[in-house]
Amino acid sequence: MLAYYLRLGLRSLRRNPMLTSLMVLAIGFGVAASMTTYAVFRAVSGNPIPDKSAQLYKPLIDNWGHANGRTSDDPPNAMDYTDAAALMKDGKGVMQTVSYPLGLSVIPADPKAKPFRVYGYATYADFFPMFGVPFKYGGAWPADDDARHAPVAVIGEKINQRLFGGANSVGRSIDIEGNRYRIAGVTRAWNPQPRFYDVNNTGGFAADPPEVWIPFTRAVDLQIPTWGNNNCNGRVAPGWDGWLHSECIWLSYWVELPDAAAAARYKNYLHAYAAQQQQAGRFDWAPNVRLYNVTQWLADQHVVPQESQVSLLVAMGFLVVCLVNTIGLLLAKFMRRAPEIGVRRALGASRGEVYRQFLAEAAMVGVAGGVLGLLLTAGGVLGIGMVFDPDIARLARVDVSLIALTLLVAVVATVLAAFYPTWRAARVQPAWQLKSN
Amino acid sequence: MQIKPILSALRHHKAGTILIAVQIALTLAIVCNALFIIQQRITMLTRSTGIDEAHLIRLQNQWVGVDDKHVGSLMQTDLDTLRRLPGVADAYATNSTPLSNGGWSTGIGLKPGGKGERVQTAIYFADDHTLDTLGLKLVAGRNFRSSEVVDQMQHDGLDPPQVIVTRAVADKFFPDGDAVGKRVYLGNKPSIIVGVVARLQVPWVGGWAANWEGRSTLVPRRLMASGTNFVIRAKDGQIDKVLHSAPAALLASDRMRVIPDDDGVVTFAQMRQEAYQSDRGMAILMGVICVVLLGITAAGIVGLTSFWVGQRRKQIGVRRALGATRRDILSYFLTENLLIGATGVVLGMLLAVGMNQWLMNTFEMQRLSWPWIVSGVIVLLALGQAAVLAPAIRASRVPPVVATRTV
Amino acid sequence: MLKMTHLSKVYRTEVVETYALRDFNIDVKEGEFVAVTGPSGSGKTTFLTIAGLLETFTGGEYLLDGVDVSGLNDNARSKIRNEKIGFIFQAFNLIPDLNVFDNVEVPLRYRGMKAAERKQRIMDALERVGLASRLKHYPAELSGGQQQRVAIARALAGSPRLLLADEPTGNLDTQMARGVMELLEDIHREGATIVMVTHDPELAARAQRNVHIIDGQEVDIAEDPRFHAEHAASSHV
Ligand SMILES: Nc1ncnc2c1ncn2[C@@H]1O[C@H](COP(=O)(O)OP(=O)(O)O)[C@@H](O)[C@H]1O
Ligand SMILES: [Mg+2]
Repeated sequence: MLAYYLRLGLRSLRRNPMLTSLMVLAIGFGVAASMTTYAVFRAVSGNPIPDKSAQLYKPLIDNWGHANGRTSDDPPNAMDYTDAAALMKDGKGVMQTVSYPLGLSVIPADPKAKPFRVYGYATYADFFPMFGVPFKYGGAWPADDDARHAPVAVIGEKINQRLFGGANSVGRSIDIEGNRYRIAGVTRAWNPQPRFYDVNNTGGFAADPPEVWIPFTRAVDLQIPTWGNNNCNGRVAPGWDGWLHSECIWLSYWVELPDAAAAARYKNYLHAYAAQQQQAGRFDWAPNVRLYNVTQWLADQHVVPQESQVSLLVAMGFLVVCLVNTIGLLLAKFMRRAPEIGVRRALGASRGEVYRQFLAEAAMVGVAGGVLGLLLTAGGVLGIGMVFDPDIARLARVDVSLIALTLLVAVVATVLAAFYPTWRAARVQPAWQLKSN
Repeated sequence: MQIKPILSALRHHKAGTILIAVQIALTLAIVCNALFIIQQRITMLTRSTGIDEAHLIRLQNQWVGVDDKHVGSLMQTDLDTLRRLPGVADAYATNSTPLSNGGWSTGIGLKPGGKGERVQTAIYFADDHTLDTLGLKLVAGRNFRSSEVVDQMQHDGLDPPQVIVTRAVADKFFPDGDAVGKRVYLGNKPSIIVGVVARLQVPWVGGWAANWEGRSTLVPRRLMASGTNFVIRAKDGQIDKVLHSAPAALLASDRMRVIPDDDGVVTFAQMRQEAYQSDRGMAILMGVICVVLLGITAAGIVGLTSFWVGQRRKQIGVRRALGATRRDILSYFLTENLLIGATGVVLGMLLAVGMNQWLMNTFEMQRLSWPWIVSGVIVLLALGQAAVLAPAIRASRVPPVVATRTV
Repeated sequence: MLKMTHLSKVYRTEVVETYALRDFNIDVKEGEFVAVTGPSGSGKTTFLTIAGLLETFTGGEYLLDGVDVSGLNDNARSKIRNEKIGFIFQAFNLIPDLNVFDNVEVPLRYRGMKAAERKQRIMDALERVGLASRLKHYPAELSGGQQQRVAIARALAGSPRLLLADEPTGNLDTQMARGVMELLEDIHREGATIVMVTHDPELAARAQRNVHIIDGQEVDIAEDPRFHAEHAASSHV
């Protein structure tokens, strides 16, 4: 029977090609606009580390209060050196790390090769297992190296290719700004999006993966400044040490905690720490601390760009208009066939059969609209680089799930739109035929 | 044209009428808000930076293996190299520029130590060549003297004895226009305003600096950091040449540096393009959506009206037989559409305002102004009339003889 | 086969209540050929639509094949229409989008029949009405008489036991009307029960029994004064 209805539907759709193509266009455009913007939204609002997002926590301590006319009640979104060092020393988590971004020049061993820039992080050994960084060769440096302020480095696949032709370079050395570091590991390309562990400096999105990591302790010894943001409030004494011991915030702290109970304990610990700072006279305000897991942190920092949200909403509104349009056109199309419906009913078609016949016809419009929508979505995703930040636009992809979703949305939306017209069609009285002569 | 018979006819195809009205309403709401977003973005991206972008190049340079303390002499050598280059009018070194979306900002006020009323200002490191290079015009006071330009370590407090500010900063504290010679405080020591420039945009084009995008302060300092930005002013018609010769000349003088391959040397035209990419893109996206939306709504009206005309052929024939002129039939359908359209736009205005209110609450968007709604209303009513014209003309051509036929 | 007692049908619109049928009684036996006559607006079509389960009635009782149909839901009614009843309309009511073959196929489709059986029955039915050569034609390509014969084939294809026809010859000239009438008589001879509404006294006379309806009531032609008055009036025209 379904085949019969599909055949009938096809015939009916071919009968008014104008009306049919209008509906297909409306569905196609509506679905494509929604799916294109959704592809971006999905990319930027995804969970960058689904396995551990509930175990990784971001502690914040308010070291600014309302000093110097500051009005916000929230702690600053990064940490100063004093607090980071104190938390690191206590080491209350299963693992913890503090890091800041680096922009460094690598000097190749070959004197003819030009120096080049690499970007990465000064951090602790726990960074790698905490965030699940995949290694091609070697691994993280041992935790000892943090304590020893050792000159070791983890490098990315790309610079390993550039410097060592892709060979296993573990144990060899790399010259960064005139200092030599022993290579402990080579990572595979690793660039979770959003870059949850460094929202402060990237806004959440960075196209190029980090390519170098060195111990935080070593970087501080060498007085390597942050390549990222540094925000100060209050006095800063001159020199590197003056800056280290200021209330300037420039560090990103992360701690791994196994479960909610541990998180609650950690929060108490933060509170106690802040209370202690208050007592010591450093803070003249009550303890004000936060502990966010990854998803909470991304939400708090509004990582999903406004453009992405607004355009998704506008596109969905657009789809709704397209559907209202389709309802109208289907209604016209179906009601024009009231005589046919009356005859079919008189000849024994039940209401259910009428429903099936007309919903099948609508579903075909949906499939055609979905196919058109798919083509337009593919084009839209290609063209999205024009609209969004390229760092973000390149995250949007057409994959199997997007294809399936596009078709599904098109068919489901069209069938939903067809319900009212079909209901009207099914209400056509079988007697209508006899009475209307 | 009588409205009553139209109303009673509309009551007979209620569903279709409501659907068109709803479609018009939703379209109006979306189009109004989309046009408004477009207008806001275009206002953003047509703002001037105050500098002579057409002649300017930014060169990002990183010296390798140098202690920050020794950067000063390297910087001077490089500047000499650049200024001597054929095609270069002038050059200077700085921490940041407009359109770069990254820089240094601090509070500025009339009292020391961060007390009293303060506003946020961008800090641009500058020297005596800066005004010339950027093409900035002094509206009062004087330029920095070369003797005033001194070195500044990254982590030391910023308290220059002299500053040049933009009019936006000057007017904030000295609305009478007598800012030159007055004291302001960035840190703990006073700075004398020696000059005022008309306009210089802050480095950030995005939302966070939106309220103070004109408040910039030039300080006569050389930033001692291994990375610096050279801003180079090319002579007329020489910019493409300098784009290649400048990095080549620097590398020739000293190879121990990094000038990134991709965005190391860019014109300000490119920087503008990149800085406003998402604004322009958003405007384009909203524009495309508006056009397609209006197209689809128009097509929907054509479709449904054609159906009604087809359905009422007989009735139209009867009217014609009873003496209705073509004009009467035409204006019947136009009036019918106008009535539906009017209902739609009234509903749409409410929706547009509601949607804007919601966007305002959620995304810090501005309030939709009436001219946008009014133009949206006019566009949609005109669109409706245009869309209904073709089917209405077809209706007016129905011959009276149709009345006598059975089917 | 078809028995109505004290049946009434009221149409309520915003302004008026119309009694299309009131206290209507009829008993059609299995295998009968009944012609229903009466002036325009007297309730003939209404009777037929109720008899064919196209509409529900307001009061009274209707037994079809001994079954009280008043309690049946829409699906059950559709099934009975499909399996037991065949319809022939004055305006033919073929589906313009479907060709002859597909039109005749419609009721069989709803019966869930196998393709081979459907084809057999369609061919048989079209053969009966003499249109087996016109399978691929669309209704618009056929004359009125041919269209009505397709409609009859469609009614026959499902081998209904009850055939309801509403002025089947109303839109045909005399020549064609006679052909259709002969077809109906053939069908009747093979055992089908036929109820036919007609205006044509000549056709009515060929039925086994005549039922006359005036103002929604069945009347005895010989006795009712209204019949004579109406008859006289119409003969003047
Ligand atoms: N759907 C309906 N709504 C309201 N009144 C109706 C409807 N159908 C029929 N009628 C009324 O019922 C009466 C009988 O109609 P009908 O059975 O069509 O008469 P006939 O077929 O004998 O000409 C008429 O007065 C007619 O106006
Ligand atoms: Mg009738």
